[in-house]
Amino acid sequence: MSLVPTPDQLPMARGYFDALLLLTFPLHLLFMNAMIGSAVIALWSHWRKDPVSERLAYELAKALPLLIAFTINFGIPPLLFAQVIFGHYIYSSSVIIGVFWLMVIPVLLVVYFGAYLYDFKFWSMGRKGLPILAIVIALMASIGFIFTNNMTLMLDPEAWKAYFNHSGGAYLNLKEATLYPRYIHMMIGACAVGSLSVACLSRLWTKKDPEVAQRGLSIGMRLFFVTTCAQLIAGIWFLLSLPADIMKIFMGRSPLASAIFILALVAVIAVLVTAWQKKLLLCSILTVVLVYLMTFMRAFVREGYLAKTYVTQAVETNQDYTPLGLFVVTLVIGIALVAWMVKVTLNCDERTS
Amino acid sequence: MNYPVWFLPEIGGGMLMAIIAITHVFVSHIAVGGGLYLVLTEMKARRENDFQMLEFVKKHSKFFMLVSMVYGGVTGVGIWFTIGLIQPDATSELIHTFVFGWAAEWVWFLVEIVALLVYYYKFNSMDERNHIRVGWIYFAAAWLSLFLINGIIGFMLTPGEWINNHNFWSGFFNPTFWPSLWFRFAIATLLAGVFAFFTTAFIDSKAFRHKMTRYTSLWCLISTAVVIPTGYWYLKALPPMAQEIVSVSPTIANSIKVGAFSTALFIILVTICTFWKPKLHNLITACVVSLCAISMMGSFEWIREAGRRPYVISQQRYSNGIPLSRVAELNNGFLAQSKWSTVTEVDDTNLEQAGAELFKFQCYACHTLDGVNNDIRIRTANSTFNGMVKYLGVMHEKRPFMPPFIGSDIEKQALAAYLVGTLHGKEITLAPTAGGNIGQQILDDECTMCHGSDLVVDWADGMSVADVTQGLLTLSEIDSSMEDFSGSAEQLNALVALLTGTAVANSEPAFDGGGFLSDDCAMCHGLDLVYEWASDLTQEQVADGLRNLSQIDSSMEDFSGTDVELEAVSTFIVTEAKGGTQ
Repeated sequence: MSLVPTPDQLPMARGYFDALLLLTFPLHLLFMNAMIGSAVIALWSHWRKDPVSERLAYELAKALPLLIAFTINFGIPPLLFAQVIFGHYIYSSSVIIGVFWLMVIPVLLVVYFGAYLYDFKFWSMGRKGLPILAIVIALMASIGFIFTNNMTLMLDPEAWKAYFNHSGGAYLNLKEATLYPRYIHMMIGACAVGSLSVACLSRLWTKKDPEVAQRGLSIGMRLFFVTTCAQLIAGIWFLLSLPADIMKIFMGRSPLASAIFILALVAVIAVLVTAWQKKLLLCSILTVVLVYLMTFMRAFVREGYLAKTYVTQAVETNQDYTPLGLFVVTLVIGIALVAWMVKVTLNCDERTS
Repeated sequence: MNYPVWFLPEIGGGMLMAIIAITHVFVSHIAVGGGLYLVLTEMKARRENDFQMLEFVKKHSKFFMLVSMVYGGVTGVGIWFTIGLIQPDATSELIHTFVFGWAAEWVWFLVEIVALLVYYYKFNSMDERNHIRVGWIYFAAAWLSLFLINGIIGFMLTPGEWINNHNFWSGFFNPTFWPSLWFRFAIATLLAGVFAFFTTAFIDSKAFRHKMTRYTSLWCLISTAVVIPTGYWYLKALPPMAQEIVSVSPTIANSIKVGAFSTALFIILVTICTFWKPKLHNLITACVVSLCAISMMGSFEWIREAGRRPYVISQQRYSNGIPLSRVAELNNGFLAQSKWSTVTEVDDTNLEQAGAELFKFQCYACHTLDGVNNDIRIRTANSTFNGMVKYLGVMHEKRPFMPPFIGSDIEKQALAAYLVGTLHGKEITLAPTAGGNIGQQILDDECTMCHGSDLVVDWADGMSVADVTQGLLTLSEIDSSMEDFSGSAEQLNALVALLTGTAVANSEPAFDGGGFLSDDCAMCHGLDLVYEWASDLTQEQVADGLRNLSQIDSSMEDFSGTDVELEAVSTFIVTEAKGGTQ
């Protein structure tokens, strides 16, 4: 008997949830990347003793708790929509690594409070804040590692047999060949996009502290260029670590996947060129496009893994679109309220500066 | 069954849920009521040009942000992680049913975060009107989050018409939606006041500390005045079954007492120590008041959770995740249909191993093994094997807050073998299922897989021994899907005797009073309790007591056997109570 659980019926056609998942997951990734990139650059800047770097570290310290808040918040919709489509895989793999999966929550609390401590006590703690930030970064990286474990384990029901020797949930999917290349690919990517986001954030400080803004822009763009080059190597390693039949999806087996792969390669080159030319706006737009393309490729990899075991979910016979309407109306109102709040905040920033 | 069980026998899923849920529920309610407290207090401060009060609001909003956004936000995700781990089936059902409800709730969570960040970080720099507007946006978003979550939580207890039509809105606006919403809102405002006591305790200026403490006390007392009637409204809105559970469950009875005591103490403390004599207020008072509030809230949540038993989603899915729609199918063999069981076929060689699997899938959701919460080893200490087999068949009737045992007869024996043999080292005797009656065993084993035994009994009613014998030997002529009886002559005679009514007279053993006590009483309490009760009584008084057990304790049923059986039991009790057979 297959270990893959029988899924629940989908309330609407799967395409709706695929679209929502692919739309929202990159938003989570962008905030997560900004969070990690900001923390890493804050650590590096704080480590250097010159006053400008220190002020840059402080500006990033203030941004860090906010980025954590939005990373968590934007993690909710993709996890929700993924559970609708792949819940029967995700719940199973989560139980198998239950201890580590649940550890994400207390670790996240420590990260969050650690980031606030680093922010609120930045000047009074001085260099004592460095180890706190280093721990925060290490814990963030550990959360990423647990997520990579779960996301690889959910794809491999054959590996679920480990449950029969580890029903207490003290298990990690360390035997998975793609685990480390995938994790390193995600982490280097986070540093790259995070660095770019620091460069973008620096624009906000131009009037308040031009030196800090210039330093942030300079470090952000340079680190983005270097880590994106490193990401190319990590990406190739990840691609080669994939099972041959899945890798071939991008080598012509699936025309759409192959086209997206080529587009992503072109986008990488464009991103590197614009980063070298320090064209921040264009580089940022291309990077967002690249993150979306990488997310689509990730979806193809997942489909490739699950092709053999995917249990097609039935769709409710009486489909009701009014709950979707509730969500859309709420989203429109929510976006309008957020836009208004951002507007009045920026107005008051301009007034005070 | 459908999903793997995260098995931490000494801890149990319930304990994990309690650790994360209790604090999250407390903080998430503070997040709703606190929004109102902040914006109304800010408006009062600006109206009265009270800069001290304005500074208090700013300080409080920082503390509020750290507690509600950081702790509340993360533990909210934590509850989601936890329910996915301990109740994957039910979580999947909730996600699939209310996916767009959850998605809408996420939007309000996002608005809450943005509003709270703007509210705190721009407290001094934003103009007054816009700042107050942001405060109101925060409160509205938090309240709408409550509105959405309340519908989904209420659905689990009272799904209402959803059971029949599976319509999103029927489940969402379920029978307890409105009383629960207003009750929770009242609780939220009350907890916001309790939370503010911590900030008022640290105000330096004595006069201002007294002023804010009194203001916050009044806030709490007004909230309490709303909590009590809405709480009553909520309890009255519970369906009869949940009300029955609430009235019979001993743990719920304790929770009601704890809740009532905490409420009384809370009112007294807030009235005397903070409202009437605000000078008595300090950090210790804030802690004690907050403990009372946690206790009130905890009692309510416990009653709500317990009142849902034996379901995790009422009338849809049992507490152990098994859907009601699959019970009949699973009764043909639970483990054979369980994807994650190490045992699929049960026989007398793997009985206890199969029982351990059954415990994991059917009991572990509520019982730990050697843990603090509802330890199964303690609960089964007094039982015999046969008593446990019998009890498993009727436990959902004896204890309506427990789901029925689901599985075949041999699986029932397997679970009993694990609970009695593996856990307590007691003897397991695989007796024929009907107390030695071979005919009954054949009837149960061979016939009831396809149809009820009543059908066979009705068929044989009024027939002669010869006709029943002939009929059994030519079953295929009655229905081509049946096979002719092919057992031994002894088995055939036993079955015929059973069906024609001759078996009872021939094989009925003398009633065993001791056996009855082990089987029917020891599941709930030790036999020592019975002997102690009977130590000063005569046999007639014991017999009278047995006939009126419900008057001793409403959870017991009156003895309903024959006079002969009553005499056997009462004689046994009196003999044992006097020091055993001399």
